[in-house]
Amino acid sequence: MPRPEINWITFSIDGREVKAPENAMLVDAAKYGDVEIPVFCYEPKLGQPVGACRMCLVEIEGIPKLQTGCSTPVKDGMVVHTQTERVHDAQRAVVEFLLINHPLDCPVCDKGGECPLQDITYGWGPGTSRYIEPKRHFVKPLELSPLIAIDRERCILCYRCVRFSQEISEDYQLILNERGAHSFVATFDGHPYVAPFTGNIVELCPVGALISRSYRFRARPWDIEGAGTVCTLCPSQCNVDLTVRDDRVLRVSARDNDEVDDGWLCDKGRFAFQHIHVDERITEPLMRQDGKLVPVDWDTALTAAAQALGEAGPRAAAIADGETTNEEAFLLQRLFRERLDCGNLSARPGGDLPLPLARGLADPALQATVPDLEFAHAVLLLDCDPIDDAPIFDLRLRKGVRRRDMNLVVASARPTALDANATTVLRHAPGTAEALLVALDAALSDDRGNLGGAASAAGSSAQAVQDLLEDLTSAGGDIVILYSERLFGGPRGPQAAEALLNVANRLNLTGEGAGLLEIPIGANGRGVREAGFAATHGPGFAPVANPGLATHGIAEALAEGQLSTLYLLHTDPLRHMSDGELWERALSSAQTVIAHESLMTETVATHADIVFPGEAYAEKEGTLVHPDGRVQRLRRAIGHPTPFNRHPGSGVRAGWQVISDLAKLLGLDFGVFAGSMASQQLFAAVPFFNGLTLDEIGGRGVRWPAREAARLAFGETSREPVALDVPPAAAVPSEDALRVGTFRPLWSSKEVDVSPILQYARPTQVVELSPVDAERFGVADGDKVEVGVNGTQVQGAAKLRHAVPEGTVFVAEGLSDASSSLFNYGTVQLRRLGGSAEESPINPIIGMPAIGESPFNPPRHELRESPPGTAPRMNE
Amino acid sequence: MPYNPGDDVVLVQRGPSPGGAGGAYRAFGETLRGLKQTFQRLTEGTKTIQYPEEKVPVYPRFRGRHKLHRFEDTGLEKCVGCSLCAAACPVDCIRVVADENTPENRVSAGERYAAVYEINMSRCIFCGYCEIACPFDAITLGHDYELSDYNRSDLIFTKEMLMAEPLDRTPLRTAGE
Ligand code: SF4
Ligand code: SF4
Ligand code: SF4
Ligand code: SF4
Ligand code: FES
Repeated sequence: MPRPEINWITFSIDGREVKAPENAMLVDAAKYGDVEIPVFCYEPKLGQPVGACRMCLVEIEGIPKLQTGCSTPVKDGMVVHTQTERVHDAQRAVVEFLLINHPLDCPVCDKGGECPLQDITYGWGPGTSRYIEPKRHFVKPLELSPLIAIDRERCILCYRCVRFSQEISEDYQLILNERGAHSFVATFDGHPYVAPFTGNIVELCPVGALISRSYRFRARPWDIEGAGTVCTLCPSQCNVDLTVRDDRVLRVSARDNDEVDDGWLCDKGRFAFQHIHVDERITEPLMRQDGKLVPVDWDTALTAAAQALGEAGPRAAAIADGETTNEEAFLLQRLFRERLDCGNLSARPGGDLPLPLARGLADPALQATVPDLEFAHAVLLLDCDPIDDAPIFDLRLRKGVRRRDMNLVVASARPTALDANATTVLRHAPGTAEALLVALDAALSDDRGNLGGAASAAGSSAQAVQDLLEDLTSAGGDIVILYSERLFGGPRGPQAAEALLNVANRLNLTGEGAGLLEIPIGANGRGVREAGFAATHGPGFAPVANPGLATHGIAEALAEGQLSTLYLLHTDPLRHMSDGELWERALSSAQTVIAHESLMTETVATHADIVFPGEAYAEKEGTLVHPDGRVQRLRRAIGHPTPFNRHPGSGVRAGWQVISDLAKLLGLDFGVFAGSMASQQLFAAVPFFNGLTLDEIGGRGVRWPAREAARLAFGETSREPVALDVPPAAAVPSEDALRVGTFRPLWSSKEVDVSPILQYARPTQVVELSPVDAERFGVADGDKVEVGVNGTQVQGAAKLRHAVPEGTVFVAEGLSDASSSLFNYGTVQLRRLGGSAEESPINPIIGMPAIGESPFNPPRHELRESPPGTAPRMNE
Repeated sequence: MPYNPGDDVVLVQRGPSPGGAGGAYRAFGETLRGLKQTFQRLTEGTKTIQYPEEKVPVYPRFRGRHKLHRFEDTGLEKCVGCSLCAAACPVDCIRVVADENTPENRVSAGERYAAVYEINMSRCIFCGYCEIACPFDAITLGHDYELSDYNRSDLIFTKEMLMAEPLDRTPLRTAGE
């Protein structure tokens, strides 16, 4: 559904003529006339108002009774009064009523000082209480989940949390139990509220009933400072506001940006900030001496690294990932290309695309925006699951389906969390997204021969592909294809990119509101590549004289001794690259491994020779590029950590500074003395960033594809569809061999691993299979099983999922242990090892403990204090 | 235009000149009036207070060094670490870091307690706002005013110091005194 038109009308509020958009709710319309109407339950982010609290009563001429301002749309000529005695009486009465059962324990309540109930009681309340009877009591406080504590006495029954669970994240877990004054918020059977987005209810709750357990009693609003920046824990790059006290980050809250995150955060972004202040942080340079990493000073470490790189010259390589900023990537590629004459740079785990394709996919005309996911006529979710890859997109798609009648079309190998919201779901074989695209292309060009061949290569049928296309195109021309960078992994990546561009071309995705949206694997994958950190192109997709090796090539060359020095920029190849075994050999045979890393990981501890301490995102300054091309700005919230008892400057240093110091030692002076100077160099070097300034980026970011410079840099590009060949067919499952696919759970990240509060969410290996196969192999849910081929094995707990197609298993990759990145879409054998694995069974949909079997102390007995059907405990 | 200081001169009105007799009175009469006060007090004996051996008693409402209180019956701290005193303090010299009471470690009566409670006495202006702000009467200002020290950092009073019974060094004025 295209964006609605705004129609401005005039109405009168408190005797003033005010212009406002028609059908806006009165509460919002009143703001155009600087009139504030107090609200509790109204929150536009939650969709339709419910009118639960009655705080917003106003008088409207012509309507005898008072009306709720939050659910009355404004019309032309309406006459509204908010300052009459009747309205005031009603407001005082509502506040008094809400406070009847409220404990008023503000001094011990975490919300105190930032509490709408306090504010509204001061501003609109009666000032005194006439209530002398005993209040209603609940047991308090309780664990609602490992992340959230609930104090039911404080709840004013505004339904915000319940609406979030039911209508936004659609996990359908929170409900209001009981009736009237005895109502209380709970999950229906008292199980812990565990889902990917639960933390948002803490921010939504207008009182202190829902409290974050990581922030509990940490600070008061007057003790803290807010610092806006961008979360770098996944590609969604949500805008966040860090709460800082005494130079420590204590809390992460949303900094609403409709164009990016719609005001929501996932629990990883909200709670994994704890990784900033843990013992695993590397706070000073280290070097390996006699097999052990020992602290050294910066000069020693930089000189050693410069020497290793200088000796290696073109035999060096660098890979980057994750939280790398554009500036760090840009400076490091300058160092490599200009000083070492070496192009072995790669940030794509699956390998780099040839320049014309990389450039074609970045064409500004083809870029969809995040809001397009909501306003498009149809979205094709192509072999990715946003809940794992970029969770905020999941909420955006749900919103599109629920509120804007968007057609969601899912074509994926692994069942996605959005299947239930989709108009059509097509299951193809793992690793055959390219074949599916070829089939779509054939269907769009009426090439019946290719259609049949490609559809069956994808393990699907021509009819299914045509049905999918029908649903995709029937609603209108605004179509968005959401896909993951994983599509281009492996040797056939370029062909897959060709196929995608063909389909985009034939669907004519060049208009406003239509386009492609790629979810990179690294949080700033797009920015790192656009800054020139790629084997096949320089900054801004400039051609390079001698392209270097991409990730797989680097690993092979290292293992064979053709390369000697490896620079790891915020990345852990053993964990994040396909083919962990090859990387294991590569790292062992590399002469020098320089790791620029903020946390002490397995890989750093065993393989690094020189370690530069890296910054956590709260300490960084620089820019990032969002998957939709929005250049966003990271700003420093806290200082760099320094080891205990050491002078400042001996600890963590800024990434741009380390790289330019290194370059200086190698005889190349970047002339960069401040983070902003690195940004300026980057903006000048990348044609489509030309003219950008940090001021222009500001707090909300700027989409470069929408800027004039982008049009100049790319010109009018038109692409003729090319002829595609049908890719080889997917492996066929047999009696004892199953197809295998992989996925990377949301929670598989080094930040989650070290955050104490998220320990319950740390993923362990699961093997997802269909109940039919399970029966065939005699495997029950939770059994310990092993899958493997040719001597490489992965063990994990079996998880039966009805949605998994027969003959296919899925295993997680990117885990800290048991990585399964070794399977490249073939078939594997499955073997049952024993009964229920002792590890906690993980809910495969969200990578979370299954309901009722959570490893943390379940508070059920406490919650059962007021068992369903009986009134909550009353005392006094 | 060149500056002419004479343009800015303002003429001041003077009183009439006192003349001979008036001049003599000015020189001696006023001095004698002052000396009258001196000789009157001379008979009263010395009034010097030998501080620090001797001290001036203070009024009961005198605001001096703070004290944190406990409940007399349970011995629990009254302070719940709500930070309201810190919010009220006009010079921002109170720092409170709260923590959660556990059954094993119950410090205060509420859910939370002050794990860190510090007052920077070198900044405090003894306004008493913290006492007024406290919802639990946990902090009051006492009568002790001897707060000098050799180190600035020693003037940051910790919770233990504020909890401890202060040395009773300041005499209190009795009723009618
Ligand atoms: S929710 Fe608000 S009003 Fe209620 S106790 Fe907490 S701070 Fe006070
Ligand atoms: S817990 Fe908070 S958000 Fe939920 S209904 Fe109660 S007051 Fe509203
Ligand atoms: S007496 Fe005044 S200045 Fe001193 S700590 Fe209390 S509020 Fe602050
Ligand atoms: S002294 Fe009083 S106001 Fe200050 S933190 Fe303790 S309870 Fe709160
Ligand atoms: S805000 Fe209108 S009823 Fe709650």
